[in-house]
Amino acid sequence: MRVTNSMVVNSTLRDLNLSLSRLQDTQTDLTTGRKIRRGSDDPTGASAAMTIRNQLRRAEHEARSLDDAQAWLSSADTALVTGLEVLGAVKETAIRAGNTGSGNALSREALAKSVENMRSDLLTLANTKYLGRPIFNGTAAPNADGNAYDAAGVYGGNGAAVSREIAPNTTVAVNMTGEEIFGVQGAPFGNVFDVLEELASAIRANDTTRMATAQTELETATTRWSASTAEIGSRGARVEQTAFRAADTDLMLRETLSKLEDVDIAAALMSVKANENAYTAALTAAAKVIPPSLVDYLR
Amino acid sequence: MASIAGVYTALSGLNAHRRVLDVTAHNVANQATPGFHRQRVDLKAGGLGAVAAVFAGSGQQVGGVVADSVTRIVDQLAEDRYIRESALQAGTQALSNDMNRIELSFAEPSDQGIASLLDGFWGGWTDLATMPGDLATRSQVLERAQTLVDGIRVAAADLQQVATTAQESLVGLAADANDLSSRIAQLNKAILGNPNAANDLIDQRGEALRELAQLTGAVARPSANGTIDVSIGGRTLVSGDIVQRLNGAGGVLTWANDASNVDAGPSRAASLKNTIEVVVPKYLTNLDTVAATLVTDVNALHNAGFAQDGVTTALDFFEPGPPVTAASLALSVDVVGQPENIAAAAAGGASFDGDLALSMAAVADSVTGADTEYRTLIGNLGVETREAFRRESIQENVTQSARATADSVGGVSVDEEMANLMSAQRAYEASARVLTTMDELLGVLMNTGRVGR
Repeated sequence: MRVTNSMVVNSTLRDLNLSLSRLQDTQTDLTTGRKIRRGSDDPTGASAAMTIRNQLRRAEHEARSLDDAQAWLSSADTALVTGLEVLGAVKETAIRAGNTGSGNALSREALAKSVENMRSDLLTLANTKYLGRPIFNGTAAPNADGNAYDAAGVYGGNGAAVSREIAPNTTVAVNMTGEEIFGVQGAPFGNVFDVLEELASAIRANDTTRMATAQTELETATTRWSASTAEIGSRGARVEQTAFRAADTDLMLRETLSKLEDVDIAAALMSVKANENAYTAALTAAAKVIPPSLVDYLR
Repeated sequence: MASIAGVYTALSGLNAHRRVLDVTAHNVANQATPGFHRQRVDLKAGGLGAVAAVFAGSGQQVGGVVADSVTRIVDQLAEDRYIRESALQAGTQALSNDMNRIELSFAEPSDQGIASLLDGFWGGWTDLATMPGDLATRSQVLERAQTLVDGIRVAAADLQQVATTAQESLVGLAADANDLSSRIAQLNKAILGNPNAANDLIDQRGEALRELAQLTGAVARPSANGTIDVSIGGRTLVSGDIVQRLNGAGGVLTWANDASNVDAGPSRAASLKNTIEVVVPKYLTNLDTVAATLVTDVNALHNAGFAQDGVTTALDFFEPGPPVTAASLALSVDVVGQPENIAAAAAGGASFDGDLALSMAAVADSVTGADTEYRTLIGNLGVETREAFRRESIQENVTQSARATADSVGGVSVDEEMANLMSAQRAYEASARVLTTMDELLGVLMNTGRVGR
């Protein structure tokens, strides 16, 4: 093949250009720290990266949801555990009232008062709020006072579950409704507040039969209460487990994304160096090839 | 007599080699001129009577050298191939430029693209599920939805802009093509009028033809009289010195005289047409599907839910169309500025129910949902763009090799020209020497009388 000067110039220019563009590519890899900057860099990798980014952002929201679920459950847990202590004290009082028998009216009145006080303590616990919202109220709007139960122990909420998404497609109910924990209202022995009211009234009236019935009912209410406490506790444990797992998953996703998208700095540096050498070599070769022609040797 | 003829023989040598020197100088001067082909003086020995000498007449005489034609050295097959490959390259280049722009307008994968806006939107619903009673949380769902709507609309506008730019550049392309075809016609005319000194004109015409082929995929057919006829898609553009005009207005390349579409071969024009009629509409349709899927999925759920008052139901979240396109996507009038109308509750009468918001957030995972549609779009776009880049780079190599092949025959080699220069110079010197010798011989002859005296 006959070789002409323009051929040499063209092909040298092209080679230089290619070499320079490779150098630029690796340099961009290095400066951005990412090897997939756009879909066409690696369609398969980019598609995987998009899915992982999606999962990561999803996980962020789930993490918030998880925190919220934990807060709800621990508020409920604290309230219920405290309530159990109060119930224990009520039981003691009831037994004392039974033992006192037909003691004087003054001491019976004192005992009845103390039961009523503990009833209102329990009502306060039943109106426990998280971020201003009564947590044992289901999904209904709170009553006029912003509570689940009014002073008479009437439940204003509904029986619906409050759900939180704690992992993809996994929801957990972070509440128990008032009626589940405290029982359904109805005189004389509906929910726990009715029972306490009946107990106080029986003590005042010194009616041992009624007191005995109230004590049995109190036992039932306490059992229901402690079962609810256990339920809330186990949900809390589940949410905590999920939180641990979510942290693991998050780490794994970030690692995978980094492997997909991020540049291996050492390899990229080597490749920049190699491309730089190639470019310098091409320049040197061009400098040697282009200038000389017969012109230089004719005198 | 013979001696006198010898003077003219020597003179023909001087003339011929001066011509060779001239042509060599021309070649060297044009070594970087685009489309230039080296030229050679055809030297041939002059026979009897070929020398314009009065006294050349009798006997078998030598007649010096004749240099009356200059040949342009060209491999027409290689030239045609170079033109064809150049046209193909212009096409692949235009396509990869457009694909590049389309890909950049989506900016994926990143934390700024539509994918992340979609994630933010669904995340808004997750937050709403946590705090359905909070007006601020409700408002941020609307904010995020509006950001998503804007993102999708901007992407649609960017895509449309790619097509619009292509349409606008067709106008310039038609003007350039008209200019080039006029030039070819003028050169045709000049070549016809001056067939023996047309080498440089032919080179200029070849270069114009190559540019025209890059723009429109035009092909040339040589005529017997040295002119060329140029046609696009089988229809004549230039015939001798008659030119048909092209028109690029209105987003299509048409023939000016009857407004029918130009059927351009692989070239920039064909590639622009492809961008306008195939590539952009395809991705716009895909984006429309993303928008429509989003609207259908979200509205279907939203209609089933209840607003904060626990009573209002059957509200739309997005404007339901018809039909929903990426460019017309908008929030519904039911919810714009009324965050309390966002349906977070799955059941009526429960103001703090967030179950519908939870179901809404789960739409993100739907395999037939907007997210999946969008990821598919981006995946396809990535593959197609990569393919366009690869085709461009392959075609660049092919064109380069076609150019090298053509150049290898017609290009100027300075070394070779220097060798020619040297040999022509020596030949000129030798001819001059012959002339001097002839002169001396004649001098001897003229002085003979004196010798005998």
